[in-house]
Amino acid sequence: MPVRVVDSCTPSQASGLNNGSTSPQACTLLSPGQTFSGTQNVSNLQKDEAWRVNVRIQGCDLDHGYLCGTMEALNVPMADTPVITFWEGEIVDTKNHTFYTGKWGATVDDDIKHWTKFPSFAPLMAQVEVDGGKTLDLSSYPFIFMRWKEQYFVNVGTDCGLTIAGFYYACFSCSDGSINGFYYDPNSSPFQKLELKSTNEGRLGYSFSSYELQ
Amino acid sequence: MPTSATSSPPSNTTRSPPHQLLRRLTTTAACSESKLKALRELKNQIIGNPTRKLAYLRLNAVSAVVSILQLCFHNNNDDDVSGHLRGFNYVSGHVRGVFGDVNVVGRGFGDVSGHVRGFVDDVNVVGRGLDDVNNVGGVFDDVRGHVRGFVDDVNDVLDDVKDVGRGFGDDVKDVGGGFGDDVKDVIVIQGAAVIGSFACGLDEGAKAVMEAGAFDLLLKLMPHPNFKVVDAVARALKLIYQSKFAPKFDFLQEKNMEYLILLLNNENENLTGLGASIITHSCQTNAEQKVLSDTGATERLLVLLRGSLAQRDASLESLASIFKDNREVTSKFVGPGNGRMLRDIVDLTKDKCPRTRLLACILLIVIRNADPLYLQEIQVKIKLIEVLFELVHDSGQVGDEAPFALSKLISDNEEVQKLAFDANGVDRLCDCFNKYLSLPRRLEGIFLALADLCSKLECCRSRFLALKGLDFVVEALGHDRAEVRAATCICLRNVTRSIKNLSAHEFMNETLIHLLLPLLCDKSYSVQVAAFGAINNIVVDCMPHKTVALRSGVVKILAGLSKSMDSTIRLNSVRALKNLMFLASCNCKQEILLELTLSTLTSLICDSEASVQEQALSLVRNLVDGSVDSIDYVLAEDCLLLNAVKRQLENRSKDEVLVQAVYVLGNVASGNELHKEAVMQLIFPQKDDKNESVICNLLKSNDSRLRTAVGWLLINLTLPDNPGTCDRVTTLRDVGIVSLLKNMMNDRCMDAKLRAKTAHYQVIEHGD
Repeated sequence: MPVRVVDSCTPSQASGLNNGSTSPQACTLLSPGQTFSGTQNVSNLQKDEAWRVNVRIQGCDLDHGYLCGTMEALNVPMADTPVITFWEGEIVDTKNHTFYTGKWGATVDDDIKHWTKFPSFAPLMAQVEVDGGKTLDLSSYPFIFMRWKEQYFVNVGTDCGLTIAGFYYACFSCSDGSINGFYYDPNSSPFQKLELKSTNEGRLGYSFSSYELQ
Repeated sequence: MPTSATSSPPSNTTRSPPHQLLRRLTTTAACSESKLKALRELKNQIIGNPTRKLAYLRLNAVSAVVSILQLCFHNNNDDDVSGHLRGFNYVSGHVRGVFGDVNVVGRGFGDVSGHVRGFVDDVNVVGRGLDDVNNVGGVFDDVRGHVRGFVDDVNDVLDDVKDVGRGFGDDVKDVGGGFGDDVKDVIVIQGAAVIGSFACGLDEGAKAVMEAGAFDLLLKLMPHPNFKVVDAVARALKLIYQSKFAPKFDFLQEKNMEYLILLLNNENENLTGLGASIITHSCQTNAEQKVLSDTGATERLLVLLRGSLAQRDASLESLASIFKDNREVTSKFVGPGNGRMLRDIVDLTKDKCPRTRLLACILLIVIRNADPLYLQEIQVKIKLIEVLFELVHDSGQVGDEAPFALSKLISDNEEVQKLAFDANGVDRLCDCFNKYLSLPRRLEGIFLALADLCSKLECCRSRFLALKGLDFVVEALGHDRAEVRAATCICLRNVTRSIKNLSAHEFMNETLIHLLLPLLCDKSYSVQVAAFGAINNIVVDCMPHKTVALRSGVVKILAGLSKSMDSTIRLNSVRALKNLMFLASCNCKQEILLELTLSTLTSLICDSEASVQEQALSLVRNLVDGSVDSIDYVLAEDCLLLNAVKRQLENRSKDEVLVQAVYVLGNVASGNELHKEAVMQLIFPQKDDKNESVICNLLKSNDSRLRTAVGWLLINLTLPDNPGTCDRVTTLRDVGIVSLLKNMMNDRCMDAKLRAKTAHYQVIEHGD
């Protein structure tokens, strides 16, 4: 979700890749077509503020630790219409992506500070401190850790006064499909919390659609 | 790969027009000298000139040349028709023997002497003939014994061939009888060169050569006493074997293998070349590869890698046929202890000759593909990529074949694709488009190589799009050659795997769709299938209205093709419609169903092919997703669609089909009470029936996707706070669902386990 522009700069650090660990299993609640809705808290010292947010998963490729979708911010004060962005996600699978971001201005310290905000990260913390979590087996862990990075505005121009420079640390619960996240942008308010729940779009139950690329 | 039959350049200064030259070849009045000159001129005119070859092919020049060769051959055997036929049959026996008959080399080379004798007037010359045979080289050394052992047969033939020159027509006497053996031999040599040249590099030429009977005739001439004749004939046969029209050689016949080994063991380049060409052309099965690896042929080919340029190239090509997809045979020759051989081949990728470099690369790719344990060194892979990228720019056939080799190198191998990307592979291949637009074969290879590069890696697709690769695709989709159209569609299919760019509607443009749609009905089947691949991806659009696609008329075309008699076309049509149905708006769904109709969709669910059933059910799954109102489609016309789904569940269909059928029910059960009850009615038609429900069986499936889908269905049916949930829970408990869900609490599939947990919780909550 875009946030207001503020200036600043932080150095990045390279991440290490490995092929050792087992990746998270597929989860139907995190498949293309699934929708989530909730809020992003964008409060700052001046005022409390939360924007309503809708998310739809559009693509998922576990082999490459890849996920993508759209994010719609509904009550953005400076926008006339809901602002939709397209984002791409990195799934922390210790094969394609580790807990260390190594880009987008995030240091290892930033990574740890953000991941530790998720209670479900606590059991993994010790191993992440040892080797960055490279040897973790995440295949039967009921939470999936991700980074979501907005790539472009879908329905407004880049001159809309909003920025998508930052990214989200996100944690998805395989049990109920809830997603918690923290927006990270050195130029924005720290720890903006994203809270999303799986939605049924007016149904009395869960519905699943699919497409198949050739 | 075919090469020129000779290096002599054609002379344009004294060139005769084709019809005139052909008259000189066919006229009965012409003397042998004149025919010889005509043959020479014909040879010089057609070498390396496909246009002129085609002109002569239209005038039936191959038959004319074959007739001259036949006359020489016949005349050398007999002038008495019955005697001649007997002699001919001997030679034919040899030919049949070598290429399929059991009585091969032994009798065959006895027949050699019969044939040799056909060229002389009396039995004394047989000895001379045999000496000549001996002089041909190693290939005949080993069969001298056979030949001598069949002298009796030869003498029988000789009894019939006393009066050479009598009983044949004028032209026979003129061509064969009026001159000595030397002239006849030169005619045969020139004729063989012409035949080889016609067969070289041109399908029409090779076909004409085979149809005119040249192949059999050349085989009969192989055991000729004159070494130069054997050399020329072997060269011509080698070229014929490089075409797809040559017959397959039967390696499984022991005597045939003996013959092949004799060819390979010869020092003469054309004889070894013929042996290698036979292997390249005919070795296809594992059994054939094993025979060639067990009988010394492979060892000899490895030795020939250090031979002349021609021998090296022929060996590289043959070895690729022997190793292809055969781990066992490959390991035997390049496994532990044979590192030097592998190094030799790697060294040949640096050879001065482009063709050698290409063939060495191809052989290394074959070895790597046979067993990925070999050639793991990253430097070798980088070297192969670099060599092949350079060879794409070779002006000849090597340049045409290089992108195909590159495609084989990177296909299905993400690591090598990344290396190729790092070597600016996408840029280098896109640069080729403008240069080689007029070379269809190369263009096809370039599109295929790009398709492989873009098959998995998003960075390659992004680069391709950044370089305006779609402009070249648009241009090539209308290419005259079906192979180019198909390769272009395959490239487009792989590039459109980019969900990022699909989401940005990069491919949903009218120009592209309007060019693709006619290809769905292309006269070439491979183009049709490839075009389906591209359309299938392009119609994936997460926006509900899908305006461009609907306006393009794609729905009408796909709906029409979904009724095709061809199951592949049906499958592809339904799959594309399914993709179009993904997240579609109500209007869009209605438009698709109007074209497709409920009855066609019902038929597709019950199609004879499971893959079509699966896609049709998946389409229905998307149809009933989204707005709750869309669920009513499956209840229309007396639950036409829902009953078809039920039939699939009861038919114990394949798991893939069942997964989609259960998701259809799950999506319907996520609707209102009426929808949930419709599903209950379907899975429990009689409330009092205590027999195990189909749902219980599906929960016990070995397929975790199926167990997960059933989990979601049960969650939707037992969702708390719905008026009918209590009754549904009771029914489910009665069929023993609780214990089944309990068993799934430790399911090895986490998704299935979590759904079972939720469903179990909901069932227990209501029960309590």
